[in-house]
Amino acid sequence: MLDPELMPKLLGEFLAKRQPAWRNIKVSSYEVMTGGYSRLLAKAVVAHDDGSAVLVLRGDPPSDKSLIFTDRETEWDLVRVLNEQGIRTPKAHHFDATGEHLGTKALVIDFSHSQSFLPYVAAGGSIDGLQVRLAEALASYHAIPIDALPPQLERPESSEAYLTSRIDEWRRTADAHVEDLPILRYMAGWLDAHRPAPVPLTLMHGDFQSANLMITDDGHFEILDWELASIGDPREDMGYFKAVAQIAPPDLLDDAGCEAMCARYRELTGLDEIQVNPAVVAYFLILGVIGTVRRLLEGGAEYANGTNRLMASVFNMNSVQFGHSMWLPTADALGPVLDQLAAAAASAQENV
Amino acid sequence: MLTRPTTDQVLVGIADELRDAIAPEVHNEPLQVLLGQIDQILRGLAVRSAHEIAWMHEEADTIAAVTGTDVGWPASLHLDDVCRWYDSVSRALSATLDAAFAAGDAVRIAELKLLLDARSATEMKIVGALELVGRG
Repeated sequence: MLDPELMPKLLGEFLAKRQPAWRNIKVSSYEVMTGGYSRLLAKAVVAHDDGSAVLVLRGDPPSDKSLIFTDRETEWDLVRVLNEQGIRTPKAHHFDATGEHLGTKALVIDFSHSQSFLPYVAAGGSIDGLQVRLAEALASYHAIPIDALPPQLERPESSEAYLTSRIDEWRRTADAHVEDLPILRYMAGWLDAHRPAPVPLTLMHGDFQSANLMITDDGHFEILDWELASIGDPREDMGYFKAVAQIAPPDLLDDAGCEAMCARYRELTGLDEIQVNPAVVAYFLILGVIGTVRRLLEGGAEYANGTNRLMASVFNMNSVQFGHSMWLPTADALGPVLDQLAAAAASAQENV
Repeated sequence: MLTRPTTDQVLVGIADELRDAIAPEVHNEPLQVLLGQIDQILRGLAVRSAHEIAWMHEEADTIAAVTGTDVGWPASLHLDDVCRWYDSVSRALSATLDAAFAAGDAVRIAELKLLLDARSATEMKIVGALELVGRG
């Protein structure tokens, strides 16, 4: 994948080994795609005697061009589970685990013929009712039993321990950066002081945002790009979605939209109103971005230290600063509401 | 040395040329994305080059006043020295924040938060209107 000129030949040879039933394989086009934080992406059209296929290759870039590290083998194992569980995501077909065939470790998955959500909206597509579809998409993979997930995904001890670890990640991220970051330290203190009621741990997408959603012909969301998936608090995906949507509209989770999404999600999962509500989503809007923020800051630090030369690493510092401007006023507005919820939760606990 | 056109003027000029003369001739999507990112980076750098040393000093003065810390002075006005000193000022602010949260001192936390709001406002003068080039 590092040399697109060679790829039609290499991909053809790879598929001939992995798809012995396909005779006279011809890769008629191979186009490099953009998207995702760090993976090499390409779309290939493949013809053979019995038909044709449009495939996507997702591979590792060279180490000095890698914005973040994620593991292709874990992604392959996870997407296979998602396919088995019937989650709306492109089917994974093949994996070059060593890179000996495709030039780098790479997955070969179906090309989605659904429409990318953001261009769909830009073209005037209706977003009416999509908050409910969003809840259904989230609940679909949040419902996968933890035991069914790949063993490489770390299992946190408990939801409380997970939350502590995530809050500490703000402090660890601040400590690890090339310069001091008091806004991150403030947010860690604030998050610790406003913990929401716990919920069971689930699979998290980790980069659940409009840019990773496609919309199917029948109006459901298809989900792409699972490289940042982990096991954690499901509400992080909601908060992260809202965080990104505020930068890149439409914000499906505006006041009314978020209430509708939460209501449908509660219906599907059995969680209650103290656990899942717009204020808690906003809490996770802040908490949930730390994984991405940490990776972006690592890229910026590497650029500052001269160990990477990616302009994207510099560009991403803008996103971090934009985040600062979002988190601080959100914390101001949210603190009193979360305090009320905590009081309601404590009262409910006493009554039990 | 010649100081005019100023650094910020030249950086904005380069960004304009890239946007108006170069970008329309580029038809490769990854390169278009890269140019879009470079455009935003250059415009932010223009703002920084014009103001960042002054802004770091102004913010440090306020932090010193609110935290009651002697933040000292940079070894020189060369950018690297000022950045190193500004980092030490930020560390003083972080330590004061941690102490306020540990004590549960809501009034103190609110005072310190105003310093962060001011820092964020400065950052947004640099970033301007963020466009997530190349995502989605």
